[in-house]
This record gives sequence, C-alpha cells and structure tokens, in this order.
Amino acid sequence: MKNALNKEIKDIIQDYPEVGRILEEYGIGCSPCSVGSCLLKDIVGIHNLDPQQEAILMYRIEKAIYPDRDVPEPKVDLTKKQAPKQISYSPPVKKLVDEHGLIKRLLALIPHIVEYIENSVNVDKELVLQCVDFIRAYADKYHHMKEEDILFKYVDNNAEIIQIMYKDHDTGRNHVRQVIEGAEKGNKAQIREHLLAYRELLMQHIKKEDEILYPWIDRQLSVTQVGEMFKQCTEADASVGDELPKKYERFIIELEEKFLQEVA
Amino acid sequence: MSGCPGSRTIDFSEKENQEGNETGSRPSQLRQWPIQLHLVSPLAPYFQGKDVLLSADCVAYALGDFHKDYLKGKSLAIACPKLDSEQEIYIEKIKSLIDDAKINTLTILIMQVPCCFGLVQVAKEGAEKASRKIPVKQIVVGLEGNILSEEWI
Ligand SMILES: [Fe+2]
Ligand SMILES: [Fe+2]
Repeated sequence: MKNALNKEIKDIIQDYPEVGRILEEYGIGCSPCSVGSCLLKDIVGIHNLDPQQEAILMYRIEKAIYPDRDVPEPKVDLTKKQAPKQISYSPPVKKLVDEHGLIKRLLALIPHIVEYIENSVNVDKELVLQCVDFIRAYADKYHHMKEEDILFKYVDNNAEIIQIMYKDHDTGRNHVRQVIEGAEKGNKAQIREHLLAYRELLMQHIKKEDEILYPWIDRQLSVTQVGEMFKQCTEADASVGDELPKKYERFIIELEEKFLQEVA
Repeated sequence: MSGCPGSRTIDFSEKENQEGNETGSRPSQLRQWPIQLHLVSPLAPYFQGKDVLLSADCVAYALGDFHKDYLKGKSLAIACPKLDSEQEIYIEKIKSLIDDAKINTLTILIMQVPCCFGLVQVAKEGAEKASRKIPVKQIVVGLEGNILSEEWI
C-alpha cells in the first residue's frame, strides 16, 4: 500500500478504475481531473475526511488494488454520529469566497448571453466586451491576483493543487482571448465555444477552491498568519478602491435585469 | 434547575482520566504586566501589532493547557463580563487596541456559561467602533476544560 500512496492518481485510476469510483463516492472527483498528478496520499490528506471515513476509504482502495491481499477491515463505531460538515472560513478567506459569489452570478448568465448572441443578427460586441471586462478586471485582476500574490504564498507553492489552480487561471485567460477574437471577427461560434468553456472551467474551479483548497489552506494557517493575510488583502483592496467592486456588482445587476427578467 | 447557570454548583471531582502527561515543568508564557483590562494601557509596547488574547477570568483555571496552547505568542487582557464595573471603558480600550495599537488579531476566550458571552459583546462593540478591521476569533471553553467551539466571528 505504501507504493500506491506515492503514485500519481491518474496512473492508479488508469490501472484500477474502481479506485476512481470509490473516490467519487467520497466526493473526491479525481477521475475527471485534467492533471491527475496528485499523489494518492496527498489527495486523502487534502480532503480532511473524518478518521473513520478515511480508514474505510483506505481499506476499500487497498482492496481494489490488491484484491488477493488479506487486509484487515477497519473497526468502525457506527454509533458515533458524524458531525455535520460546515465550513468555517477565516475572515480573509471568507472575503474570497464572497467574491466567488459575484463571479458565479456572471457564470449563471453566460448561457443566456450566448443564446442572445446566437439569436441576434449582428454580434453585440459591446456586451461581449463588457463581460470580458468583468472577467479581466474583477475575476482575474481583483480576485485571482489576491489568490496568486497573497493566499497561495502561505502554502507550498509547488503543491500539486496550487499548480492546478494556476493552470486553471491561465486556461481561463486563454478562453477570454478567444472570446475577444470572436467578438472582433463577429464569429458567434467562437464566442459561444469559449464563453461556455470559461463557465464550465470556473464553476469547477470555484467549487474546488470553496470546498477543498480554501479549507485546506485555512487549516494550515496560524492566528498570526490569518491577521497578516487579512491585512495584505485589505491593503490590496484599498489600492484599487471601494468603487471597483461596487461598479462590477452594478454591472451584474444590470445584466440580471436584462437577461433574467422572465424569471422575476 | 433554576438560577444563574454561571453560578450554579457543579461537582465533577469524580471525573476520571485526570492524570494527563505530568512530566517536565511548564514555563509561564506570560510576557507582560499588568493583564487586567482596566489596568492595561492599549499604548503599552507589548500590544503594538500583536495577536491579542482577551480572556474571561475563569478560563485560565478551566483550561489545562492555557499557557502552552493559547497564551503562547500572544499579549493578554483579562476581564469578567459578569462582575466587572464600568465596561464602557472596556469597549473604548478594545477600540484603541485595534486603532492605536494596531493589533494583528483578537482572540476572545470565554466560558460556556451564558453571561460570559457578554465579553464577546463588549469586544464586538469595540471592534465595530474601530475604523480598522481585524480578524476576531471566539473560543468557548467547557466547564471541564474542553473546547466547545472555535470560530471566526
Ligand atoms: Fe482561483
Ligand atoms: Fe477563486
């Protein structure tokens, strides 16, 4: 089992697809991951399962990899009620989670925007560029920069999970470039493809951050570090001013009024 | 049961497992004097930029590892929200700790009894009055020294 613990997860799942299915049952979605270079031992650690769950998970994985081995079944106290998992973020991390809220509101609008563009004669270039501006100025500059310049610096930057986050940010930037090109050329298919891909990417990305990465980072922070990080984030926000987040919130509200009015 | 839960008589002297690990001596982690919230000055050098622990008086007696796990590396102020008078001064001092001493964080340690939450209230009011914002954490200690909850507020 020691060998398996130090193997990259994509190799394990390739050889033993059952392991991917077991992980999925525990809410650990490694099978669809594009990178898959996390080591099995890190994956189990990063998800912070309660000790009982972790013991059963490891038992089932070991059984799946070595079916002939005589693995002792872990003793589990079924009377012990599992505490409901509620994530409590530190204040600087909570601020980042709240920012995801506004980004997710744009993501929710993207299918409507794409449909609107498909159905109009000429591409509404201004609308597309306004969305690009939100993504670049709010999601990327205001939000992702705090992650990259502040938050990620508090943990091992070479950790696989951090590398995956950087990669996601980059992939997002590529999609945005394609969207702009589509808008310049009036190419509806290009805009559609890359706006939808951006949406899919960011939805998964935000879910990974809210549920796994941020709690994992929070668990490693001392009280002193939480205070320092809060100060750095506050300074970063102050350097762009109060008006920027307000402006982009107004923009999202306007879009919602335009595209979601039938719901209201 | 009636009366104030904060002063109700409870005896857990029969509790087992009270040995713990008793080897070695434990040095004090206190790095300052005074410590009582009325007596300390927010301008004292030991508060400047520090992580501050605001502890209810009873906590240090209930919590077996108070020095090692909570006091270590922090500056301290203690108070009793039930018995202390002139608590408006406390609110001003908390505000001053945040704005003038520019403390890094504030951790409030209280007992589980309801009146102890008054200290959280005092700290919250002080923090709201302050123009700077800092992370504030609340830790609730059970009568038998167990940690009941720990959260950023
Ligand atoms: Fe991110
Ligand atoms: Fe994010």
